[in-house]
Amino acid sequence: MTEQVIVSSRTIDILAVLMLMTTIVLVGTSRLRTSIWAYAIRSFLLTWVSGLIAYFSGIHHIFIATGISLALKVILIPGFLFYIVNKTKVKTDVESVINYTLSLLISCGLILIAYYSTQSIIKFENDFMGHCLPVSLAITLLGFFVMITRKKAITQILGLLAMEDGLFFAALSTSYGMPLIVELGVFFDILVSVIIMGIYVYRIKETFDSIDTDSLRELKE
Amino acid sequence: MEILTLLLIPIITATACVFIRKHSISKYVSIAGSFIAFVYNIFLNYDVYTNHTLSGLNSFFYLDALSILSTQIVTLVGFAAALYSAGYMEAELHEGAFREKRLRWYYFLFHMFIFTMLLVCVSNNLGIMWVAIEATTLATTFLVGFYNKKPHQEAAWKYIIICTVGITLALFGVILTYHSAKGVIGEIGYALNWSELITVADKFEPHLIRLAFLFILIGYGTKAGLAPMHTWLPDAHSQAPSPISALFSGVLLNCSLYGIIRFHILTSKCIGPDYSGTLLMIFGLISVLVSIPFILIQKDYKRLLAFSSIEHIGIIALGFGFGGMYGVYGAGLHAFNHAVVKSLLFFCSGNLFLKYKTREIEKIKGAIKTIPITAVISIIAIFAITGTPPFNIFVSEFMVLAGGFSSGSVLSIIFSSLLVIGIVLIFIGFIYNMFKMIFGTPASVIPVGEVSKFTIAAMLFLLFFVLVVSIYVPPVLNEILHNIYDIVRNA
Repeated sequence: MTEQVIVSSRTIDILAVLMLMTTIVLVGTSRLRTSIWAYAIRSFLLTWVSGLIAYFSGIHHIFIATGISLALKVILIPGFLFYIVNKTKVKTDVESVINYTLSLLISCGLILIAYYSTQSIIKFENDFMGHCLPVSLAITLLGFFVMITRKKAITQILGLLAMEDGLFFAALSTSYGMPLIVELGVFFDILVSVIIMGIYVYRIKETFDSIDTDSLRELKE
Repeated sequence: MEILTLLLIPIITATACVFIRKHSISKYVSIAGSFIAFVYNIFLNYDVYTNHTLSGLNSFFYLDALSILSTQIVTLVGFAAALYSAGYMEAELHEGAFREKRLRWYYFLFHMFIFTMLLVCVSNNLGIMWVAIEATTLATTFLVGFYNKKPHQEAAWKYIIICTVGITLALFGVILTYHSAKGVIGEIGYALNWSELITVADKFEPHLIRLAFLFILIGYGTKAGLAPMHTWLPDAHSQAPSPISALFSGVLLNCSLYGIIRFHILTSKCIGPDYSGTLLMIFGLISVLVSIPFILIQKDYKRLLAFSSIEHIGIIALGFGFGGMYGVYGAGLHAFNHAVVKSLLFFCSGNLFLKYKTREIEKIKGAIKTIPITAVISIIAIFAITGTPPFNIFVSEFMVLAGGFSSGSVLSIIFSSLLVIGIVLIFIGFIYNMFKMIFGTPASVIPVGEVSKFTIAAMLFLLFFVLVVSIYVPPVLNEILHNIYDIVRNA
C-alpha cells in the first residue's frame, strides 16, 4: 500500500465519521432547515469521498458520477427542498413520535447493530475501505428510523435521502460505485422521486392544510 | 433491436397521447398502441420460443422463458386495460370527475407505466432492473392520485413513500450482489448482467448472497405486496382508477416478483435452494394468512380484491418456494391465471362503480338486473378467482399444492396444509361478500343497462383467456412454463 493511499484511506475514514454525525443531527434536531442543511453537508462529504476514490483509482466513470452527485445531491435537491419549505410556509419545528433523547439512544443501538451485522462480511474484506460498510449501513438504518418516527412529510423525504446516501456510500466503499449506466439511472430515479414527493407535499398542504402525515388517516379498515 | 422496438412502442404511444387533446381520438391511439405491442410481443415470443434465449443491444437486453411469461402478461393485460380505459375514463369524464385535458396525462402515464414494466422484464442488467422497478412507482404515483381528492392523495403519498423505501432497501441487495460478482468476474461493465452472473453464481461469497437475497426479498417484496410489507397496497388499489388497479394487481405485482425470482435463482445456484426457497415460503404463507380476516369482514369491494391479490401473490411465492416441477410450473401458471382473472374482476368492479357510484358492498344490490352482462362475467370470475373447479385458478392452485405436498419436506407439507385452510376460508368470504352485490333487488333509481361497449369488449377479451386456460394449457404456454422450470432447476 503506498503512502498516498493510506492517507486517503484515513481521510475517507474521517469523512465517513462526519457523514454519520450529520445523520445523527437529522435524528436529533427539531428544526426542518437544519435537517436540510445536514443533508446537503452529508451529500457534500459523500461527493468528496467519491472524488477521492476517483482520483486514486483513476477510474473515469467515478469522475462523472462525482460531478453529477455534486450538481444533484449537493445543490439541486437541497435547493428544491428549501423551495418547498418556503412555498408551503410550514412551521419549521419537526414533531417526532418518539422524543429526541430516546431517539438518540435508539440511534446508538442502530449503529451498534450496523457494526455487528457487517462483521461477518468484513472478515472477507481486503479492500482498504472495508470498514466503511458498517458506517454506510448505519446511515441507511438511521434514515429508515427517521422515516418511521417523524410526522412531517418533508422529514420523511429527508430520511429517504439519508438511506440513499448510505447506499451510495456502501456501493462506493465496497465496489467503487455501480456501473455508470446504473448509477445514472439511480440518480434519475432519485431526482424524479424527490420532485414527485415535493409536489405531493405541496398538494397535501393545500388539501389538508398541514403536512403532518398524522392527518392522512382516512384510509383504513 | 427487436426488443428495443417492443420498448419503443409504448413510448411512442405515450408521446402521441400527450399531443392529442380530444379524448375521442386519443382513446383510439392508446388502444392501437397497446394492441401493436401485444401482437408484436407474440412474434418476439416466438423467437425466444424457438431459440430459448434472445439478447439484444450488446446484451443490454436479455429474454428467456421467465421474461417472456412476464412480457406476455404485461402486453395482454395492458391491451385489455387500454380498451377498458377508453370506456371507463369516458364515462368518468361525462360524470365530471376531472377535466378533459388531464386525460392526456392519464394516457401518457398509462403507457409509460407499460414501458417501465416491459423494461423490468427485458433488462439483463440487474441494476437497470432496479431502476425500472423504481420507475414503475414514479410513473404510477400520479395515477393513484389521479382524482386528487383527500383519500387519493393519502393513498398516493403512502404508495410512493412505502414503495420507495422498500426499493431503496433492495438497492443494497443489488450492491452486495455486484460486490460479490466483481470478486469473481472482475470486469466492471458486465458484472451485473444476469446472463453472466448465472454462469458464475456458484463461486459467490455465500455470506454476501444470503444478506443480498434478504434485502431483495424485503425490498421488491414491498412492491410485490408480500405481507407484512403490503400496507400500501389496499389503499393504492382501491383509490386508483379501475383500469390502473387492474394493471397494478395483475401485472405490477408480477413484475416485482419477477425481480425476486431472478435473485432466488442466483441464490439457489450459490448456496442451494433451501435458504431462499424457505424465505419465499414463509413470506408467501404470511401473505395468504394476513389477507384472510380482511377478506372475511371487508366492506369495500375494491379493497376486497386488493387483499385477494396479496393472497395470490403469496400463493405464487409459495409455489416458487416449494420448488420442484409442480411447484414452479404451478406458480408460473398461477401468475398468468391470476393476472387475467384479477384484472377481469377489477374491470367488473369498475363497471359496478360507474353504475352505483359507491365502493361499499352494503349499498349495492341486484347487479344482475341492472348490468346483466357484467354480473354474469363477474360470477364466472368470482368462481375462477376462488379456485373453484373447473376454472383456471383451480388448476394452478392444485399444482402449487401438489408441489408442496410432494416435495417431501415436513415444512412444505405443513405450509401446504395451512394454505388449503386459507383457500377455503377465503372462498367463503369472497363468495359471501361478492354475491351480496350481484343478487337482490336493486334500488329503483338505478337505470338498467351497461355503461360502455368498450368495457364489455375488454372483459370479453380477458374472459376468453380465462376460459381457454380452464379447458387446457395451450402448448405455447406449456412450453414456456417447462422452460421456466428448466431455468430454475439448472440453477
